[in-house]
Amino acid sequence: MVIGLFSGGYDKLTFAGVLLSGAAADDMEVEVYVHLKAAQWFVKGNEEGKLYLSEDNERLDTCMQKLKEAGSPSWIEYFMMAREMTSVKIYVCSLAGRIWGGTNNENFIEMVDGIIGIGEYIDAVKSADVHFLV
Amino acid sequence: MTKEELKALEIAKSVDARGTACPGPLLAAKKAIGEIEEGEIMEVLSADEGTKRDIPKWAEKKGYDYLGDIEENGYFKMYLRKN
Repeated sequence: MVIGLFSGGYDKLTFAGVLLSGAAADDMEVEVYVHLKAAQWFVKGNEEGKLYLSEDNERLDTCMQKLKEAGSPSWIEYFMMAREMTSVKIYVCSLAGRIWGGTNNENFIEMVDGIIGIGEYIDAVKSADVHFLV
Repeated sequence: MTKEELKALEIAKSVDARGTACPGPLLAAKKAIGEIEEGEIMEVLSADEGTKRDIPKWAEKKGYDYLGDIEENGYFKMYLRKN
């Protein structure tokens, strides 16, 4: 399974985490390709950045509260749990990394497995049985 | 299995995931199934409607026997045997 993670919105990051969890339950191998706005959250030092929703941002507090009430972990906790259960590789687009201050592996949080170019993402999509663009 | 048969099962592991919505119970079940032996039975408690559909499908895909479920006050007890 391949996930193209483009959005930096908390709602879509959470959805990507939920997808990863489902894949982990099925022991599926997953590759996540992180693009543009999503990449900001994978650069070291940006973890505490200002959260937002991809749409209807005025409902951020309500959404966060409802997720908490539902016992939903944060998006990054979903990612970490999935990585403990199955093979999840996370690659950041080199352009996206550069936008947010990440030019080499050391600039990214520990779960990032590498920096890639767009060709690698396209090849991964070509050979994937399932592809989600979030 | 009938409700009575399900109630009489010897449970090797019970997972209480009533505090989480999908996909929490599925992840909890996935973690816990590794802690029981083949032939043993696991019980999953969930109040999440989506999970009631997910767990039987997941069990089938993984080759476990889904034995059935019992509806309690506001939650479900689901039973599966590890093969």
